[in-house]
Amino acid sequence: MSSAKILLAVVIATALAGTALAFSSAGIQAGAQDPEKTVTGHSAGLYQTSGDVLDPEHFDGRETTDIDPDKYLREFNYGRVSTLPDGTTLREFTIIADDRQTMEVSPGVFYNGWTFNGTIPGPTIRATEGDLVRIYFYNNGTKPHSMHFHGIHRAEMDGVFEQISPGGRFTYEWTAEPAGLHLYHCHVQPLEEHISHGLYGVYIVDPKEPRPEADEMVMVMNGYDTDFDTENNFYTVNGVPFYYMHHPIQIEKDRLVRVYLVNILEFDQINNFHLHGNLFNLYRTGTMPEPDEYTDIVTMSQGERSVLEFSYKYPGQYMFHAHKTEFAEKGWTGIFLVKE
Amino acid sequence: MEKEQPAKPRNARLVASAAIPIVILAAMVAFLLWPGNSILNMGVPLPDVTIERVEFGDKLITAHVRNTGPQAVEIVMADVNDRIVPAAIEPLRSLERFAEAQVIIPFDWVEAQPYEIGVTVSDGTRFATAVAAAAPTPKPSADQVSLLALIGTYVGIIPVLIGLLWLPFLRQLSSAKYMFFLSLTAGLLLFLGIDALVEANEISAERVSGAFGGQVLIAMVTVISFVALLYVSEKLAGGRRQQVAGAFAISLMIAVGIGLHNLGEGLAIGAAMIAGQVALSTFLIVGFAIHNATEGLAIVAPLARERPRILRLVLLGLIAGAPAIAGTWIGGFVASPVASIVFLSVGAGAVFQVVVAIFKFAGKSSKFLSGPVVGGMAAGMLVMYLTSVLI
Repeated sequence: MSSAKILLAVVIATALAGTALAFSSAGIQAGAQDPEKTVTGHSAGLYQTSGDVLDPEHFDGRETTDIDPDKYLREFNYGRVSTLPDGTTLREFTIIADDRQTMEVSPGVFYNGWTFNGTIPGPTIRATEGDLVRIYFYNNGTKPHSMHFHGIHRAEMDGVFEQISPGGRFTYEWTAEPAGLHLYHCHVQPLEEHISHGLYGVYIVDPKEPRPEADEMVMVMNGYDTDFDTENNFYTVNGVPFYYMHHPIQIEKDRLVRVYLVNILEFDQINNFHLHGNLFNLYRTGTMPEPDEYTDIVTMSQGERSVLEFSYKYPGQYMFHAHKTEFAEKGWTGIFLVKE
Repeated sequence: MEKEQPAKPRNARLVASAAIPIVILAAMVAFLLWPGNSILNMGVPLPDVTIERVEFGDKLITAHVRNTGPQAVEIVMADVNDRIVPAAIEPLRSLERFAEAQVIIPFDWVEAQPYEIGVTVSDGTRFATAVAAAAPTPKPSADQVSLLALIGTYVGIIPVLIGLLWLPFLRQLSSAKYMFFLSLTAGLLLFLGIDALVEANEISAERVSGAFGGQVLIAMVTVISFVALLYVSEKLAGGRRQQVAGAFAISLMIAVGIGLHNLGEGLAIGAAMIAGQVALSTFLIVGFAIHNATEGLAIVAPLARERPRILRLVLLGLIAGAPAIAGTWIGGFVASPVASIVFLSVGAGAVFQVVVAIFKFAGKSSKFLSGPVVGGMAAGMLVMYLTSVLI
């Protein structure tokens, strides 16, 4: 072959390659033999596809996430209970920190969660005012961690200056006070990193005079920055985006519901909770017996918390969600199913 | 037969000597890639997904995504304006390296509004692309095909043919003035080539993943296109035929080069239409039409001292102008950004070859860098710059 022909061949090959690349996008036809699946769009009707469905909002029947918001919702840990010689109730808890887990935080999205006792959020710790609380803390992770509880206690029990090294342990002990809704979280620097990865949980101190009987539940508002750009990709209540949309929380008509609502959301200035078809009594921090407000929305900054009390007059499905619509559309929505 | 016998072992030795380094290299690569070999396990390979184009249909948004990262990825979520939306992905959510899929989002979009379309992969990384103004994506219907053909005709064929009408004017010029206009066309084309490279570079930077090495691709394709066309044009012009054939051969090569360039221009117009830049593409059409009239001048300039047949002139005009129609079709219906930069680079190399051809032709009758040549080139580039600023 002459060099002219070779050069021509190169030009033609380049042109063909370019054309092939240009047309490659038109060549994709989904395998028609697959059964059709349906995508439920936002106000735009349905779409039938032979491919895969990407939809964290509607339940596709797969229980794949490593977090169980249903179990977390009404699970209160009272500890191993014993009575001291002076009559004080002792509540002992064992908490193990880890930072090596990869968790499915939303269908198909895997994130390196840092956990207390293997879950995000960590276990809800509950005591009564005046109890002696003792926490056996083990750091099973690869970085130093600690437990910082809100509430009244001695400085050395504050979990700030005592960083627990990997493999280390520490025993926290204090008398539970005051009555109210508190929280705990890791207080090791960089704080933003330790909290945004999932090291937090709820700490409830019941008043000596118990609150009225109610259907009690915990709601922790959090988020996940899965691409580490200091903006959350997901917002949730109790750990999984959109979870209570496809697993509505069942409650009874006319029965008092008490929500222990905690905001631990990192990166964003505020977060809030809005209830549909109803209003609630709002007890900020849960420290006072009288409600602060009768409302259908409460806005909180990071670390703030409130006790909400309400009962539904009519049966049916009622949404609850962040009234920051961006958060709602990234996962912070749910449904109460009120039954007769 | 007897003579060929000793040749065979020599051939075998030749093949072996070529193959041995390849075999050793292959063995080394196999060793490095062997499962369990941890020598090269440094760092985590990051995923990379490119959204190559976004189409707006009847209450549907379709994003064409390609895995341009170093390993397979799984697309797990779609969003519109960073808000999670239910979507379908066809054919599959898992994408091998360089594999492509369509993410189809049922969405009641609003015309002329900007949108950002994003996808999230299984490690939580989000990739997004912005659309300046949503507009219905033309489907390759007979109407659309003929509309684009019409636009291609207005942009390519008609202006080039109009430009050919400068032939009688060129005939009447003195030698120095003729050189000026010849150099003017060279300046115009030089500008077009640079412009195509700049545009290819923009597309490469904005819409082509690093995996495709866009800038290197531009340089490579431009050089190959340039040297190959130069070689072909010299073969044509340096044939046994004499001066007359030489002048026509140069015009023919100029027409071919301009044709390749117009293919790239058509691509830009077609792509602007599907990108929803309707108003912009109207400007593009007017702008290209004015630009392209000057291309006709470049084609007839070498023929000013000849008496070409009309049919041949029309043929030259069609060779230069008609590829614009094919360009609008490709750009409008199928082109990917990679294909766009390949076509633009081929066009750039082609017009640079045309510039060389014009100077070779001009050099036959006078010294290369005369006053009219310098003035003509400067004027040509300035005219193009000013028209591109004003339009």
